[in-house]
Amino acid sequence: MKTTNKNTLLFLTLIIGVVILFVLNISLGSINIPVKEVYQSLLHGSCSKESWNYIILNYRLPKAIVAILVGIGLSISGLLMQTLFRNPLAGPYVLGLSSGASLGVAVVILGAWLLPISLSEFFLSSFGIIIASSLGSFIVLVSVLVIAKRLRDTMAILIVGLMFGSLTSAIVGSLTYFSSAEQLQKFTFWSLGNLGNLTWNSIAILCFCVVLGLVLSVFSIKPLNALLLGENYARSLGINYKKTKYIILFATSILAGSITAFVGPIAFIGLAVPHIAKLVFQTSNHKILFWSTLLFGAIIMLICDSITQIPGTEIILPINAITSIFGAPIVIWLLVRKRKMMG
Amino acid sequence: MKSNILYFFAIFSLLFLFGCLQNNANEKTKISAVANSVKYAKGLELYHYKGYTVMKVTKPWPEATAGFTYILKEKNGVLPDSLKQYSMISVPIQSIVVTSTTHIPALEMLGVENTLIGFPSTNFISSTKTRKRIENGKVREVGVNESLNTEVLIDMKPDAIVTFGINNNNSTIDNLKKSGLNVLINGDWTEQSPLGKAEWIKFFGALYGLDTKANTLFTSIETNYNNALALANKTTISPTVLSGAIYQDQWYVPQGQSWASLFLKDAKANYLWKESKGFGSLSLPFEKVFEKGQNAEFWVAPGDFSSLKQMSDSNIHYAEFASFKNKKVYSYAVNKGAKGGIIYFELASARPDLVLKDLIKIFHPELLPKYSPFFFIKLE
Repeated sequence: MKTTNKNTLLFLTLIIGVVILFVLNISLGSINIPVKEVYQSLLHGSCSKESWNYIILNYRLPKAIVAILVGIGLSISGLLMQTLFRNPLAGPYVLGLSSGASLGVAVVILGAWLLPISLSEFFLSSFGIIIASSLGSFIVLVSVLVIAKRLRDTMAILIVGLMFGSLTSAIVGSLTYFSSAEQLQKFTFWSLGNLGNLTWNSIAILCFCVVLGLVLSVFSIKPLNALLLGENYARSLGINYKKTKYIILFATSILAGSITAFVGPIAFIGLAVPHIAKLVFQTSNHKILFWSTLLFGAIIMLICDSITQIPGTEIILPINAITSIFGAPIVIWLLVRKRKMMG
Repeated sequence: MKSNILYFFAIFSLLFLFGCLQNNANEKTKISAVANSVKYAKGLELYHYKGYTVMKVTKPWPEATAGFTYILKEKNGVLPDSLKQYSMISVPIQSIVVTSTTHIPALEMLGVENTLIGFPSTNFISSTKTRKRIENGKVREVGVNESLNTEVLIDMKPDAIVTFGINNNNSTIDNLKKSGLNVLINGDWTEQSPLGKAEWIKFFGALYGLDTKANTLFTSIETNYNNALALANKTTISPTVLSGAIYQDQWYVPQGQSWASLFLKDAKANYLWKESKGFGSLSLPFEKVFEKGQNAEFWVAPGDFSSLKQMSDSNIHYAEFASFKNKKVYSYAVNKGAKGGIIYFELASARPDLVLKDLIKIFHPELLPKYSPFFFIKLE
């Protein structure tokens, strides 16, 4: 009973946190717009200056929504993978899912000449890029899973993920030699990661993909809890392991794939956020973890995005730099802690 | 004891300094005997002597601490001993490899394009004359962009390789030099003034012993440019101008002292970032550019876009600018060569007179009623 109360309080705090950070994220930017004007614009759709109104409603608002979608989607895909692999170091970036998505996009952007014209035209549309990128991350995920089954070793899986990363970047590097400057530019800018250039249409598509991934994950909460105790235990509880596995794989690749397609590879969020949720809530129950990871994902991504635009200055840092500064120490800490437990 | 050492040290450094000063003075008197024949370019010096020319590239790249000196020796020319330490090239050269498309117009204007035997990534070249030679197999591929293929170059053995350096680390260039090839560093790209950049035709003129021709060509460009400038000075209005485009959240605009910005100034336009200091480009957040440039009358050089639709497809925010709504966006990226190279990148630095006239036509059409723009095309 006590923990339930504590959790309710925590959840309330988190929800309020998301709302506050959302407003804060919209209020901060390289141009100083008074908070009052921001509210005017958000609530009534107009404020004292037309350019401010446009910046708030059509630039900052969509960016904040994308940040939330990205934070939620990547964190949940990280949580799913950590449970499925029973490995604390799993995550879309570390296991090479993002690299797989990059490869998918690289093949359609840089290798467009390999495909027949009708196909290449389709793949260069925004839907095509999502499909290519989801497919890329799905292939990597399945391959890692197959290898993981044989190795059953945390380090080995990490190394496999690293290898996939190098392999894809090598293939991408070779492809660049055969592509035009224009294609190369398109791909380079895609790969830098960017939240701020999505139309409302693309946001709707992204939103649809993320919600689809989340709904699938909600259905897997119960089997996920059982999976924590191992494959055989889950089976003995009457859970269709194969079906669950495929649902989780599908959900993960659609989450990581669609997000990577729209905003480029974003580092470490998927790995770090579930751990933060686990640390704060001190539980491994997915009924709680799912929602807390979701909220933390939104919060951390909003914070990271606010930091990229140092308020009042003209400096913009790449979003990936910020998330890596956040995430890399967590990975190191996890590895050290694991060593200690084993030692 | 300690003060003694200090004293000694002070004397020593004074002597040393004096020695240096004297050396410098000597060199200066020696050089000033013949006047530098370069007027606008800040990174190039040419001193013509009987039988040879001393060519100095003083600013090969932006942060360079030292330049390069080349001795261009004519047939039967006699070199003084003091110059033997520098790289020597026998002129006129008969074959050349260049590495930047901006060098192609100079060769063509001098009428020596048939001496070009190699180029890295020939697809970037747009000029029809040189393209024809490429299609006929007369110009060999010598690598991709800056990474030159050493073996191919050694095999070709051109009289001169003209390339450029980005900084001190040019291992390929060092390698080529070691294998006995004449590698010359060209610094035209660090030049900021429009006429200064164009004056680098004299660099190639000197290599071919065509100094007089290069001078005549440059003088006519200079006259055209100054005439256009005088024409622009007749107007008193200067419309506001926005420039550049977004690449991943950053909007890149030319800085106030850059080549592109100087053109806008000479064309009597009020460029929004003309006050900024620096020669490169500024990267700005969208919000800042939007606030400042939303109502700018013109938008010049919005990246590589060649239509308004392409622009708004790539970023919805572009369509919110007044210049976009009023269709006053002008781009150099429409005019392309047979293989997709943008002609402006190849030719603009050699023909500043045309660039300036284009811009005057855009901002003050009444001044040049009959002129039709060469580089900048209105986007539809």
